[in-house]
Amino acid sequence: MNESNQSLLEILLSDSSFKNWANQSNQNDMKFWNSWIADNPDKAETVYTAKAIITGIAFNKTVLSEGKINMELDAVLSQISSKEKKKIIPIKRTLSTGILKYASVAAIGILFIVLGNNYLNSSSEIIHKTGFGEIIDLKLPDGTSVVLNGNSEIKYNKDNSRNIELKGEAYFKVKSIPSTNAKFWVNTNDLKVEVFGTQFHVNTREKKTDVLLDEGSIHLVLQNGTTKKMVPGELVSFSKENNAVIHQKVTTEIPYSLWREGTYVFNNITLKEVMNNIEHAYGVKVEFIDEDLKQQLLTGGIPNQNLKICLSAIEKSTGTRIVQKDNRLILFKNSIN
Amino acid sequence: MISCANPTNPYMNDSSEKSIWHLFVEGDVKAFSTLFKTYYSQLHNYGLKISGNPSLTEDCLQSFFVYLYDNRKNLGTITHIKSYLFVSFRRALLKHLKKERKFTSYDEVFENPNVFEFSPEELMVEQEFTKIRVHALTELLNNLSARERESIYLKYYSNLATTEISEVMNISYQSVLNTLQKAFTKLRTHIESEEIKQVFKIV
Repeated sequence: MNESNQSLLEILLSDSSFKNWANQSNQNDMKFWNSWIADNPDKAETVYTAKAIITGIAFNKTVLSEGKINMELDAVLSQISSKEKKKIIPIKRTLSTGILKYASVAAIGILFIVLGNNYLNSSSEIIHKTGFGEIIDLKLPDGTSVVLNGNSEIKYNKDNSRNIELKGEAYFKVKSIPSTNAKFWVNTNDLKVEVFGTQFHVNTREKKTDVLLDEGSIHLVLQNGTTKKMVPGELVSFSKENNAVIHQKVTTEIPYSLWREGTYVFNNITLKEVMNNIEHAYGVKVEFIDEDLKQQLLTGGIPNQNLKICLSAIEKSTGTRIVQKDNRLILFKNSIN
Repeated sequence: MISCANPTNPYMNDSSEKSIWHLFVEGDVKAFSTLFKTYYSQLHNYGLKISGNPSLTEDCLQSFFVYLYDNRKNLGTITHIKSYLFVSFRRALLKHLKKERKFTSYDEVFENPNVFEFSPEELMVEQEFTKIRVHALTELLNNLSARERESIYLKYYSNLATTEISEVMNISYQSVLNTLQKAFTKLRTHIESEEIKQVFKIV
């Protein structure tokens, strides 16, 4: 492959008449090049290589499905918007999730202009906080999704969204990273949850932390130093104050309450405890007119997208009346029953 | 080969692509989404050819697009959008692989025989270039060097022009031609003997 052959190759590849010969698409060009090759047998090798480069290799191309591409796009968009979200809290909870997504996406442009370079220099700690009755869906930079219930807060370092602090109540779908086996940690006042990739619910209200595991497996490191391994369907409750641990399988027999993505699920829970959840999430004060209502047991799912719907679901399932006055909820027996 | 047009973006010609890029730099999320949808599948396939690992490729693509959005103001003037995306994604992926597998140099990544490995299913049965069987052609392709395979992949699978290939592979225009020439000279030699073998089998 000497210098003159090299430049011949280049000339041939950019010659449209030669391309026509290679693709056999023009009678005159084919005639011309056939006789040219006959006159220049020493160039034949380069000519046939050039022809091969032009005709090339025909591939069957793999194209990913639209659904898959849209899914990946959503993940990227939510990572972009969740980075911005820390500056725009709280978000009005009355927006449906669809609109919420749109609103946060629309806000990006504006934010970038306002923040400019300051964004990069801003504190390395990222805080997402919800107001009373506000629920937000978050996508952390590592792909983990978090649903943060009302009056709750998560905090993490910008460089490590897989080690977070939680106050309040949240539902996690941790994205596993099999290539590095990177763990994910949730730290509360009482304990530390160590995860690979799973779905679980953490509640730190009532001076204790409840963890309920839906999928996968997690380790807990309690504040008193002991560790616990959980399997799906188990509930662990720990309070550092009185050092009390409950570790049990969730069955219909035992009382428990959990929350995930906009629904409270109660099982054999007293109305008093149910209303404690409402107090935390919505920042209201509950008063019982009829004291014996407190011990009434409730089982079932209650939507908590909005306080009104939530209260009417409680009213219907317990036969009570709930009247809201400013910040107070007053419960009494429904006289019709 | 000319008949095998790029199937991925029938609605994007050069000038509309430039205006979409401009909108994206301005922070238009819709324009960003259009770019994403146009190039995701191609970059995904390219990444897979280098890493051989779907989840790693997807993770890397996610952070690549997030990075692209975050840094869109600092990207400078970009003449070829497609080759720009290929170049920067290739760089991001190699960096990731280097860190992850503790490679000391990028060249080591390409020492893996599976890099740019082709499967018979990826080749069309009807090849203008040769009449030998797809399995035999696949084998010949996989015996080329990684660089030769990558240049063939970028030219005929991703439909990049020679100048764009030189940008992506970070080698000169002339080196791309040399690489292609070497590759096809090898292929032609082996194909001839393969054809002779086939003739003898039939006889």
